[in-house]
Amino acid sequence: MYKGTNASAGIGIGKAAIVEEAELIIEQKAVVSVEAEVERFRKALEKTVSETERLAKELAENVGEKEAEIMQGHMMLLMDPMLTGEIESSVKNSSVCAEYAIEQVCNMYADVFAGMDSEMMQQRATDMRDIKTRMQRVLLGIETVDIASLPQGTILVAKDLTPSMTAGINPKNIVGIVTELGGKTSHSAILARAMEIPAVVAVTGFLKDVKDGDEVIVDGSTGNVYVNPDAATAAEYAGRRDQYLKEKEELQQYIGKPSVTKDGVHLEVVANIGKPEDVEKVLEYDGEGVGLFRTEFLFMDRSAMPTEDEQYEAYKTVAERLAGKPVIIRTLDIGGDKEIPYMGLTKDENPFLGYRAIRLCLDRKDDIYRPQLRALLRASAYGNIRIMIPMVTCIDEIREAKALIEETKAELDRKGIPYNKDIQVGIMVETAAASLMADVFAKEVDFFSIGTNDLTQYTMSCDRSNERISYLYSTFNPAVLRSIQRIISCANEAGIMVGMCGEAASDPMMIPLLIAFGLNEFSMSASAILQSRRIICNSSREELQAVAEKAMSFATTKEVEDYMREFVKSQA
Amino acid sequence: MVKASITIKNASGLHLRPTGVLCNEAIKYQSSIRFLSKNNTSETNAKSVLSVLGACIKCGDEITFVCEGPDEEQALAAMLDAVESGLGESVAHGR
Repeated sequence: MYKGTNASAGIGIGKAAIVEEAELIIEQKAVVSVEAEVERFRKALEKTVSETERLAKELAENVGEKEAEIMQGHMMLLMDPMLTGEIESSVKNSSVCAEYAIEQVCNMYADVFAGMDSEMMQQRATDMRDIKTRMQRVLLGIETVDIASLPQGTILVAKDLTPSMTAGINPKNIVGIVTELGGKTSHSAILARAMEIPAVVAVTGFLKDVKDGDEVIVDGSTGNVYVNPDAATAAEYAGRRDQYLKEKEELQQYIGKPSVTKDGVHLEVVANIGKPEDVEKVLEYDGEGVGLFRTEFLFMDRSAMPTEDEQYEAYKTVAERLAGKPVIIRTLDIGGDKEIPYMGLTKDENPFLGYRAIRLCLDRKDDIYRPQLRALLRASAYGNIRIMIPMVTCIDEIREAKALIEETKAELDRKGIPYNKDIQVGIMVETAAASLMADVFAKEVDFFSIGTNDLTQYTMSCDRSNERISYLYSTFNPAVLRSIQRIISCANEAGIMVGMCGEAASDPMMIPLLIAFGLNEFSMSASAILQSRRIICNSSREELQAVAEKAMSFATTKEVEDYMREFVKSQA
Repeated sequence: MVKASITIKNASGLHLRPTGVLCNEAIKYQSSIRFLSKNNTSETNAKSVLSVLGACIKCGDEITFVCEGPDEEQALAAMLDAVESGLGESVAHGR
């Protein structure tokens, strides 16, 4: 068995086809006629451009317009006058062959891009190297492997998949992908996920052991890869693959279904998003709204504050796409764990207990908070936007924030700018203080959303990124569970909506407890929505009361986890 | 020679896509079209994707276009227009 990084879920079983790019040997050869060499380069360039155009078209048809963009980008680079000009003058001035001139010029640019501090620009280095080899291949007359014509049931095996190789993939024929290089966010992994092909990347030394035609099993969920497995393993995985496909199909049935328990309790399963583009996935998995829209993306990786209009456009886009479904937008949750020079934010000694989120926003009303609140209110005219305030610790903070919202509303009224006058304002309940005061907060706000990651961290006094104390960090710790139960019952008593964002909301072991406690809304990554809806539809709140009572009677994290694990197993 | 300054409002700065739109517009004109920016000591050729990408322009950066040639006035106006309208991306407009 081989172990790699799981890059795209699912199980693929098929025959290996090794796609190896022959090593190109580029030598500095002198040429007799520079004019003839320049002409040779231009012809090769023309052919490369038309091949790239064909790949872009194939990709657009097989996968999607968005995925084809990378090939269109390559065409732009190939046709760049500066690039071709430099290659031609290198041929002319040094009387060297075109292959060598391409090598020099493209590597120079690739190095420049690789040295830039933005990941987006570093990606351009990969693009430069990719177009470099393509031009050289054409010049040397080396045919590229035609991935598009590989037969049905093929497991694609390669050192790394270049964008031009992935472009040729027909998802009907390729049932799995294994590469020696790459990571979860590499281009090949992203494309594999988009095409829903099981993939495992970063399998060290795989190419030297596998031959064309070998039977290969790819488990894209665990990262395991088998070559010529014994009969028992093969049978086991064939079973698992069928199970996986069956489950996937079964989950599809939950699209369009309401999230109602067996005893008739209506719940909401919604999504966490970080960028306006993420809305597509929410719609695909039939989210009933957005339970957490993080607004930090608008403020990161840039050199100046986003304008009010820029924010307004982003919020409006999401509200419109969700067409009336609730969209809970969290105001800026940023602090001293990130350095943001244009905001004058420096590293805090103790960032998670420091100057962050609402604490920072109330201190920076003029340049940060007012523009964001104005943008949110203006966008609220176009959909069901709700405002959520993060990291609230004391009542004064929420009163001050609400007063600011009222002030902003009055300003919009004066200017005659439309907004939703009944916009709901809620808080993230994630500090120990807010949890203890939940009954008081419930009278002052329209909804709660429990942020379990921070609530656990603050309740347990445990830095969640510190490996050495990870035994403390569990949402199943009885102290954290008591806090969650209390927050929910305070909200229920006051008659306000209470939700949970944070991965605990999609944990199959946690969902039964949350249903029993009386949680109304479950917010999670879009891909977990259908699975969670299925759990809800197969549960009864009344029957779960006994389970919750038992779970809450334990003294240790382990006892709770063991009990809930057994319970989930018994339900399957 | 004519010149004018403008602020880039694309959220991710001049990455590949908006750069392509900018260059495609620039090559329509005979005049040389270049721009200056605070992080770059040399001028950037607005007709070259590589040159523009290499300038590493971020959101909020100000650039100064310098156009020179027979159609320099039209070229400058077109460049400012293209940047203002977001280079194919949706950006916020000034009020």
